[in-house]
Amino acid sequence: MAVKLEARRPRAVVLGGGRGVRPLWILGQALPGLALIAMFIVCAVIEPDVLSINGVGLLLSPAIPLVLAAVSQMFIITVGDIDLGNGYLIGLVTAVVAVQMVSHPLLAVAMLAGIAVVYVGQAVLVQTRGIPSIIVTLGASFVWLGLGLSLLPTPGGTAPGWLVTLMNLKMLQTNRYELPVPMSLILAALIGTAAYLVIIRLPYGAVIRAVGSNPDALRRAGWSVLKARMAAYAFAALFAILAGLALSGVISAGDPTTSANYTLLTVASVILGGGQFSGGRAVPFGAVIGALAISLVTSMLSLLNVSSSYQTGVQGVVLILVLAGRVLTERSDS
Amino acid sequence: MIRTTATAGSTGQPQAPRSWRGIIRDWPSRRPWIWSYIAALATWIAVSFVAGRGFGGTLTSTFGLVPFLVLVGIGQMVVITLGNGNIDLSLPNTLTLAAYVSTGVMANGKGSVVLGFLAAIAIGLVVAAINSFVILALRVPPIIATLSVGLIIQSAVLVDSGSMTADPDPGLVSFTSSRVLGLSVLGLICIVVAVGAGFVLMRTSFGRSVQAIGQKVQAARLTGLRVRTVIVASYVIAAVFAAITGVLLGAFSSPSLDLGSPYLLNSIAVVVLGGSLIAGGRSNVAGIWGSSLFFLLLETLLEVMGASVAAQDVVQGVLIVLVLVLVGNRRNE
Repeated sequence: MAVKLEARRPRAVVLGGGRGVRPLWILGQALPGLALIAMFIVCAVIEPDVLSINGVGLLLSPAIPLVLAAVSQMFIITVGDIDLGNGYLIGLVTAVVAVQMVSHPLLAVAMLAGIAVVYVGQAVLVQTRGIPSIIVTLGASFVWLGLGLSLLPTPGGTAPGWLVTLMNLKMLQTNRYELPVPMSLILAALIGTAAYLVIIRLPYGAVIRAVGSNPDALRRAGWSVLKARMAAYAFAALFAILAGLALSGVISAGDPTTSANYTLLTVASVILGGGQFSGGRAVPFGAVIGALAISLVTSMLSLLNVSSSYQTGVQGVVLILVLAGRVLTERSDS
Repeated sequence: MIRTTATAGSTGQPQAPRSWRGIIRDWPSRRPWIWSYIAALATWIAVSFVAGRGFGGTLTSTFGLVPFLVLVGIGQMVVITLGNGNIDLSLPNTLTLAAYVSTGVMANGKGSVVLGFLAAIAIGLVVAAINSFVILALRVPPIIATLSVGLIIQSAVLVDSGSMTADPDPGLVSFTSSRVLGLSVLGLICIVVAVGAGFVLMRTSFGRSVQAIGQKVQAARLTGLRVRTVIVASYVIAAVFAAITGVLLGAFSSPSLDLGSPYLLNSIAVVVLGGSLIAGGRSNVAGIWGSSLFFLLLETLLEVMGASVAAQDVVQGVLIVLVLVLVGNRRNE
């Protein structure tokens, strides 16, 4: 008989720890938000037009695929694994969408389901054969890239109209009324909430988190670690597929290699958002805000007119600084 | 130097089994590198039949291509053996940058080859210094630290390649494809390097420190090892090996922006397939040679079979995972 696990909210427990609220802890919690606000202010200073609903929408809508991808990576990091194939996986999804979604929607859905099954299969290899996830996902990344390139050797194809429309929607509106909030912010909030409900609020979410923090205890309590890890990978696959859909909507086509750097950016987003490589700590909203902040780095650099040769380098420096800041607050926290 | 008990995992064996069956069963599991040679052998036979080039021709032509992967693989292996998540994902970018800079320095044979190598080594040292600083001082986890540093190096490559007009030094170009008794000189040198690396890792206090840190870093620290120094030295070895490979590869097949990209995944794959533990603590140089041979023979096989680059990627990915499923990569196996 499996012991029932309470879906507890870790934040409340930490705050109620009786040791008072420590300033560095608050800084650590607020870090991704602060990074996001800082990036946004820099963008607004360079380009004041950013400060309108359209401006925010324009700035953040390319971020939505990365937000979804970061949530996908968060599920993997929560169980103590890492997905190094994430970028090419999403590229493959855009290829499937752009090549098949319009002409053969059912085939496209079946292919996406097949991708998800293979993805969950990785969890089985990690769990039962004890092969580190870093290697399994690295091997899988070859597979995703190869499949993507064989479907779509050069960027192209057509994304379904509804996807393009959805991703380019500036705000929710009817004939009479419009909601004065940028659509991309609404989407980001929805994604964060969905992830939060799954990993924090759902009772089984606690089981998934326990895979990362204490798999032995989970096993002794009668739960299957294999099933829990597979569940985490299944949710990760779901969000990665959504990320691929969103990305093909943004670029209104498919491209197996355009999202190659997502692997680094999603890992960085999750760590910036408060996740830990050792697993056990799920940070749905942190991952979302971290992804928004990191995608603003790219926007900021292009607004600053940094030449494209230097952009990747500056991105690297900013990533290191932001992550070093995260680690510094972590260390004093313990 | 304190002599640690941290010898290579495979030499600290439990009691030997008596029966022949036991010996046959246990022999390969004590020698995880053997699988890479079996895989290489099988692929070699397959290539020889499919390509119709004969066994000798296939092997000697592969022998000339392997050194690049072996050199990068050895560097990656040293870092991975440190365990605790240590890995160098900036190696491909270091390789590419070194290829461009050294080619520029050697300037069509008007510059000095020695200066070209020195420039590459300097690049390796700088990259290793940055990596070590970010990992040890800023405490950023190695995976994202080295990936981010890789982005910075990539920028340097883009800036440098913009003004690049030189061709590789002709002397070095002919050296990289020269042969003695039908065997690639570079391949022969690389065997010597591999033996040297094996000696350093298994027999010197540095090598044993690397493995000890990979097995249990707290214990290594308590025995008085200078953990940070060893970590920095390991990243230096990895980056310098990659940079030197860059010079050679730049001469062998002229610099290009994605010269190093295949080495990101392949360098890790050869380490793991070669029987070193991805979790650290056990390394195996012989396995690097075996798995590099396997990789290049496999590439040749897929090419002669007319597989597209995309199909090659898929097969390679599936095989990496498949071999690991069969062999396993666990510490207590």
